[in-house]
Amino acid sequence: MAYALAVRNPAEPADESTNIDVALARRIMAAAPRRDPEAEADLCRRFAPRIRLFGLKRLRSEAAAADLVQDVLILALQKLRTGAVNEPERIASFLLGIARQMVIDTRRNSGRRERLLDAFALDLEPANQSVDATDTDRLGHCLQALPERERSVLVMTFYDDCAADTLGTQLGISPNNVRVIRHRGLKHLRDCLEAR
Amino acid sequence: MKHEHDEAALLSYWLDELDEAAAAEVEEHLFECDECAARLREIVRLGGAIRQTLLDGRIATAVTPAFIGRLKDGGLCLREYRLEPGDSVYCTIAPQDDFVISRLRAPLEGVRQLDLVIDAQGRQHRAAHVPFDAASGEVTFIPPAAALRTLGTETQRMRLIAVTPGAERVIGEYTFNHQPFL
Repeated sequence: MAYALAVRNPAEPADESTNIDVALARRIMAAAPRRDPEAEADLCRRFAPRIRLFGLKRLRSEAAAADLVQDVLILALQKLRTGAVNEPERIASFLLGIARQMVIDTRRNSGRRERLLDAFALDLEPANQSVDATDTDRLGHCLQALPERERSVLVMTFYDDCAADTLGTQLGISPNNVRVIRHRGLKHLRDCLEAR
Repeated sequence: MKHEHDEAALLSYWLDELDEAAAAEVEEHLFECDECAARLREIVRLGGAIRQTLLDGRIATAVTPAFIGRLKDGGLCLREYRLEPGDSVYCTIAPQDDFVISRLRAPLEGVRQLDLVIDAQGRQHRAAHVPFDAASGEVTFIPPAAALRTLGTETQRMRLIAVTPGAERVIGEYTFNHQPFL
């Protein structure tokens, strides 16, 4: 199965983070057919949070996102080890392409994960779990201290990730107005949370 | 690499507000940029904490009737009190209730700014610019369930005030006689 690379402007300069990713991909490829466990672990550690975020966005499930992280990294490492990645300098796009295809595959074939795990058993670190480090007492106080409209918009937005156009229709205001209130609310909330 | 995606764009991506091309652009950037991915993760984490604070009954807030529908769709147990202007009601919160909902009926046509004044426990609190859906003809308010559970017998009064430049008009007064659940 082909995993399409996401489009990226090759003229765009890479930053330090990208350089590290690329160097790790090249190390894994250069070590083949042997393994470079340190480079593989570093690559997994760096990309796991990004894949998890993508999985949460697309699948809206912590468990499904965690599964996706493991599946994408297993397949990516297998491709890198076998030299099936033509452009390691585009490793991020390569992983995104895999992740996008995996989401489609996951919906199409729920048995894929079990087969992959059987074929490429790896000791991957568990996905970076969402740890709610927010002081709940402080957050409650800061939410209550917000102007009513900002609190209402934040609550109605984040209860079930409601988009601005939907909320704007219900409130009789424009989507842009909702975004402005939302933005102000988040800023005021952070200001309060950081004011110790 | 230029980190061109500000918080507003990241949040719009998360909430599916961007068109397909813009969403793909943000998505690609997030896979390449640790910094922006971390910023979005922080937004998502804060959003989850806001949701949990609501579910824990730790905040009072006005919402829309449509939002109440979303709570019901989520399987939450709601105890609702619908009052016309001038009404008084005996109310409580049962152990199985997730939320108590105050539905304040009011003539909202033409109202631009609405304030809610709450008199409780000898103190007065005024919330300005309360959001409302004028077509529904009611203001929907969620008091903090956690605080309600600790209340004894107590009377709370709410007033809705339509505000125009230089003038205010009370459009509804409501009395809640709270009693602990027996």
